Amino acid sequence: MLNKSTLLTACLALLAAPAFAQKSDPEDQYYRMLRFPMSEQIVLEAGALEFMPDGKLAVATRRGDIYLVDQPLTEKPDEATLSVYASGLHEVLGLAWREPWLYCVQRCEVTRMKDEDRDGRADLFESVSDGWEIGGDYHEYAFGSKFDKDGNLWVTLCLTGSFTSEVKYRGWCLRITPEGKVLPTCSGLRSPGGMGANAEGDMFYTDNQGPWNGTSGLKWLRPGKFVGHPGGFRWYDITAGAIGPRPAEPQSNSRMMVEAKKIPELEPTAIYFPYNKMGQSASGIACDLSGGKFGLFEKQLFVGDQTHSTVMRVDLERVQGHYQGACFPFRQGFGSGSLSLIQANDGSLFVGGTNRGWGSRGPQPYSLDRIVWTGKTPFEIHQMRARPDGFELTFTEKVDPATAGDAKSYKLNTYTYIYQSVYGSPEVDATEPAITKIEVSPDGLKARLTIDKLQEGHVHELHAAGVRSAAGQPLLHPQAYYTLNYIPET
Amino acid sequence: MPRVCSLVLLTLALPAFGFAADVPPRVIGFERFYADDGDAVAAGQLLLGELNCTSCHQAEPSLASLVQKKQAPVLDSVTTRVKPQYLLKFLADPQTTKPGTTMPNVLAAVPEAERAKIVESIVHFLATTGQVTHANPVRQHVSRGEALFHAIGCVACHDSRKEPAAPPLATSIVLGTPSRKYTLPGLTQFLENPLAVRPGGRMPHLNLTANDARDIASFLLNDLDVASGLQYAYYEGSWDKLPDFGKLTPKEVGDAANFDLNVVKRKDNFALRFDSTIRIDKDGEYLFLIGSDDGSRLVIDEKEVINNDDIHPFQQKRKKVKMTAGLHTVAVEFFEQGGEEVLQVDFEGPGMPQMPLASLIVATKASGTSPPPEMFKVDPTLAAKGREYFASLGCASCHSLKLSGQTIASTKTAPALASLKGQGGCFADLPPKSPRYALSPRQKETLAAAIAAARQPVKSLSPSESVERMLVRFNCAACHDRNKLGGVEVARNPHFQSDMPEMGDEGRIPPSLTGVGAKLNPQWLRTVLADGAKDRPYMFTRMPKFGLENVGEMVAGLEKADAALIKPAPKLTVDDNDKRLKAVGRRLVGAQGFSCIKCHTFADKRSTGIQALSLTTMTRRLRRDWFHEYMVDPQQYRPGTRMPTPFANGQSTLPAILGGSVDVQTRAMWDFLADGDQSILPIGLVTGQIELIAFDEAVVYRNFIEGAGTRAIGVGYPAKLNLAFDANDIRLAMIWHGAFIDAAKHWTGRGAGFEKPLGDNVFNLPAGQTFAQLEGSQAPWPVAPSKEAGYRFRGYRLGAQRNPTFLYSLGDVQIEDYPAPVGESDYFVLTRTFSLSSAKPPANLWLRAAMGGKIEPQEGGGYKIDDRLTLKIAGPGKPELRQMGNSNELIVPVVFDGGRATVMVTYDW
Repeated sequence: MLNKSTLLTACLALLAAPAFAQKSDPEDQYYRMLRFPMSEQIVLEAGALEFMPDGKLAVATRRGDIYLVDQPLTEKPDEATLSVYASGLHEVLGLAWREPWLYCVQRCEVTRMKDEDRDGRADLFESVSDGWEIGGDYHEYAFGSKFDKDGNLWVTLCLTGSFTSEVKYRGWCLRITPEGKVLPTCSGLRSPGGMGANAEGDMFYTDNQGPWNGTSGLKWLRPGKFVGHPGGFRWYDITAGAIGPRPAEPQSNSRMMVEAKKIPELEPTAIYFPYNKMGQSASGIACDLSGGKFGLFEKQLFVGDQTHSTVMRVDLERVQGHYQGACFPFRQGFGSGSLSLIQANDGSLFVGGTNRGWGSRGPQPYSLDRIVWTGKTPFEIHQMRARPDGFELTFTEKVDPATAGDAKSYKLNTYTYIYQSVYGSPEVDATEPAITKIEVSPDGLKARLTIDKLQEGHVHELHAAGVRSAAGQPLLHPQAYYTLNYIPET
Repeated sequence: MPRVCSLVLLTLALPAFGFAADVPPRVIGFERFYADDGDAVAAGQLLLGELNCTSCHQAEPSLASLVQKKQAPVLDSVTTRVKPQYLLKFLADPQTTKPGTTMPNVLAAVPEAERAKIVESIVHFLATTGQVTHANPVRQHVSRGEALFHAIGCVACHDSRKEPAAPPLATSIVLGTPSRKYTLPGLTQFLENPLAVRPGGRMPHLNLTANDARDIASFLLNDLDVASGLQYAYYEGSWDKLPDFGKLTPKEVGDAANFDLNVVKRKDNFALRFDSTIRIDKDGEYLFLIGSDDGSRLVIDEKEVINNDDIHPFQQKRKKVKMTAGLHTVAVEFFEQGGEEVLQVDFEGPGMPQMPLASLIVATKASGTSPPPEMFKVDPTLAAKGREYFASLGCASCHSLKLSGQTIASTKTAPALASLKGQGGCFADLPPKSPRYALSPRQKETLAAAIAAARQPVKSLSPSESVERMLVRFNCAACHDRNKLGGVEVARNPHFQSDMPEMGDEGRIPPSLTGVGAKLNPQWLRTVLADGAKDRPYMFTRMPKFGLENVGEMVAGLEKADAALIKPAPKLTVDDNDKRLKAVGRRLVGAQGFSCIKCHTFADKRSTGIQALSLTTMTRRLRRDWFHEYMVDPQQYRPGTRMPTPFANGQSTLPAILGGSVDVQTRAMWDFLADGDQSILPIGLVTGQIELIAFDEAVVYRNFIEGAGTRAIGVGYPAKLNLAFDANDIRLAMIWHGAFIDAAKHWTGRGAGFEKPLGDNVFNLPAGQTFAQLEGSQAPWPVAPSKEAGYRFRGYRLGAQRNPTFLYSLGDVQIEDYPAPVGESDYFVLTRTFSLSSAKPPANLWLRAAMGGKIEPQEGGGYKIDDRLTLKIAGPGKPELRQMGNSNELIVPVVFDGGRATVMVTYDW
């Protein structure tokens, strides 16, 4: 039965999870979680989130509905009301507002819609672009971004069966201009899980473990680049040279940085999320642009993991022109499999979830949670930055110089992944470099680690379990994973 | 001993007597682990068993049990399987005839003429065991056999036989050209139960069904004349029903491999007729299934059994038929007009699961002209002599052959193993009296080391070492690794496949045996080794059975070797019969618990995601202590596994259940799963229909809709009329009555596949362009897809009752296409109003209102289309009915007035 004509409220039969996440969770002291109650009537498998000009939160679902949450910033999610804005769309995984239209990226096209008769529901649906094809395989997802500074919408297209590119532009990133023109942008995508820009406006997406992807990663969609999976190379033939000629085929059973030196178009994965240590399927991306309303992590990226029902934190830097950096655990315990992320203008972070078809730690079938900074800053590694001979760690508060300056407080090991055409990769080429020197800065916020020696192309996994804050606290999350594609020269 | 002297002299006299192209006996474990280095004694002991040395050279009992000699083939009925003509060649020179054979040349030093006589006698003797029968492989079986051979694990030990040929691997048992040796019935018989002939288990039993064995044998013998049992005739033309094939001339005829569409040359407008003969082995009730898009018919023994005619999306019909054993003719007819095309013909019989009907086909004629091979006539005198040779030459030392219940005893004697020198004798390049093995230098070196060691008491092996020796001996290491030993070789890796590629290696590579003694319970280990296993439905390789008499010791060996890894499960004070705990376990396994069923199947119920192995097998296979440990930290046991833990950081994600106790929660799941196949289904596993119903407004459903493509827009109206617009081909594709659509396929699990209309009277509208510019009313309707012709889909607007108006354009012409039900109470028709506008109206623009085999004008206006639908047209343009090829078209000129035009079409069906 389906009747979407009436306004539905969400406070109906509650599904399994309680309205609040586990209070015992230490992360909750710093970033508390507000959980919107879910009903069986409204299947809120949140594929995309966007704020409407009136402050309502639009939630697009995998079933193809778009709901509006009337008071998303409420302290009492039980009292929030949902109304239907649109229905019957095809698995919406992108929402973006540009006056006076709400744009959505659904499997078949970019659509813009508006409510012409002002009854609260969209009634005009215009096809902006259908410049890609669909063979009929369910993996052929299309994710959409917010608008970039040129007014383009970015679309990432999963491979057919997540393995091959049977029809046009599967495994590509396209930009759709305001006029609906298709700009082929990057090749080499496999199975995207989300997209988002950083503070500089550069676009990133997450890709998932599989062929040519040893583990899930965060990749930079630098126009003209090839990001790893050669399955969609045939479509260079129809781009009329828009992003240059077809790159050389990567050699399977190699390493990404070995191939990146041979194939100039290959943009190496900016951040690896080590399999199972950080997550198993990376998803949505949100950048903290709140100017401090979300705590100390301004301009860092927050990235969901669907399987682990978490949000991870990413600090990027540019080395030799490429993005790379570290990822850290941030917040766990989301209601379902984290998929879509958006930051509200009060700084809080909304996370939509679903575990249909892919299991998650979060036990609900779908979820909408909101993370609010309590004003209390956790003791964390704020940044991990590469130096020619080691790393510089910045902490969120002053450290105890004795423990932070003691090599025994740290454990460092490195590894990388096989870059190959078969599924995934174990961690390989492991090393355990020595930390030969540590300097703690006079202000107590930084520790400079000299390493013998850094491994180019490796994840550097650091556990700083012994480090204490000046107040004697251990790190909330002692682990950090730095993807060192390039070693800075200075 | 004058005879020996003469042989020595002969040898000296024939220095050129040589074996230029010698391939040393092929022992996979030796080639893989010892060919260049490694423990020489272990390597030699492996060869002692695999070359059957201890059958002649008696070994001290503990050594004999350690080497586990590979028993040579049982010859009781050898010539029912093997051609005597081949035996003549093989026995005269085994190494040349079958390079890499472990069968020694017993007659190496005998002069050729004399050797030929001895061999002839022996073959006459062997031929008293039976007669081979001949049969030609059938093409359908060859192609199925090829797929099986490369999928189920044959290529773990043998080379791939795919073209183009890959370089042969040193670690493969060479098959060569089996047709020299075997007939089809002979090889089939062998493959059905290799352990009956080769009890040593080196060629394991793959649990092949009779058909599997026949098909693999057919493939291996595909150099014989291959017969076809299935002829097809292919026709082109446009029909809306099955044509009368008798009146048509086929465009092409030939042999087909299957009742499918592989032989057709285009996507639309064709028909096929297949003729074949099937063999039914057993009287009984058989279920026949024929599914097609569009129409089809199944005819058995000239009688129509199933009629699945007319244009429709994929639709399967089935019928039970009593069949008698024997031959039956089968004809399948099929036609396709437009859209998707499928043909699938299956059957199910007594004790036979559903499978393609083509697997019952028998050959009625062979395509080649080779004469049938001559029968081999046994000469009793020679046979009697051969029997003596069989005993005296030592054949009987290795091969068992029973004649009237009596096993022939060998009269050949040889020195005990410990007394051998480790040189000369069997090692010699041309041994004067010993069998010739063509050993490689490294084989000789390691055998010598093992013989030298045999003079000392056998060094006893640790359980771990014993297990490793067996993994090498039985080539378990070809598929499994254990503690860094073995595992799939790089060159063979691509042959290990699954139908679940996204499971990665876990889905296609057989499991690691590291720690398996602590993982599987001993009863299950025993079952697997005794019977084989196939618990991972996604994995194409099968675990074959090796026989407990061969590998039974591995059960205790693994348990001992891995004993230290067993961590006892936590002790709980839980009543063993606590039914509530079991109920909680059911909840935990289900969709609102840990969602195990999202990835794991449950007996025959599919999961909603990937199809990992059934939860109902867990307690039967696993030790409970391992299950507990694994649930808490899967990565520790299977590095890289996709299995997530519900107990990350040792904490349950469901803290409110059973106090959040990891121990009690795992125990609850275990207790629930312990019911195995008798378990009640976990919650969330069976999902019902999600019917979308339009109450007071239209309902839109964009998804994969069968018949309307990947960019379909379904619309259900409260009037119980429905339509599907194809936004890729930019046309109205289908209209139907009654129920709208079931969304369950797309809204549960991952949403794979196309959903078809849920209602009735589905009417398909013509594919392709709706409007086109024609040079005159007799110009053919253009065939280019709409998009290529300049159509663009622009979206839709929802109006009154949220009825959509579809918006599209053709060049400068903007088209609004507004379908709406018109009528009252329960009688509605669909009107479709086209409103066109253009600043520069094109001349000669036509609307194709209908297409069909039959279009008849009706009295009082309107047209009857194929006796199914009445169509009315309103507007200034005068409709024209025209015949184009095999079909009729109703076209209407678009008349613009002030840059605008309107045409209205009404469908009543």
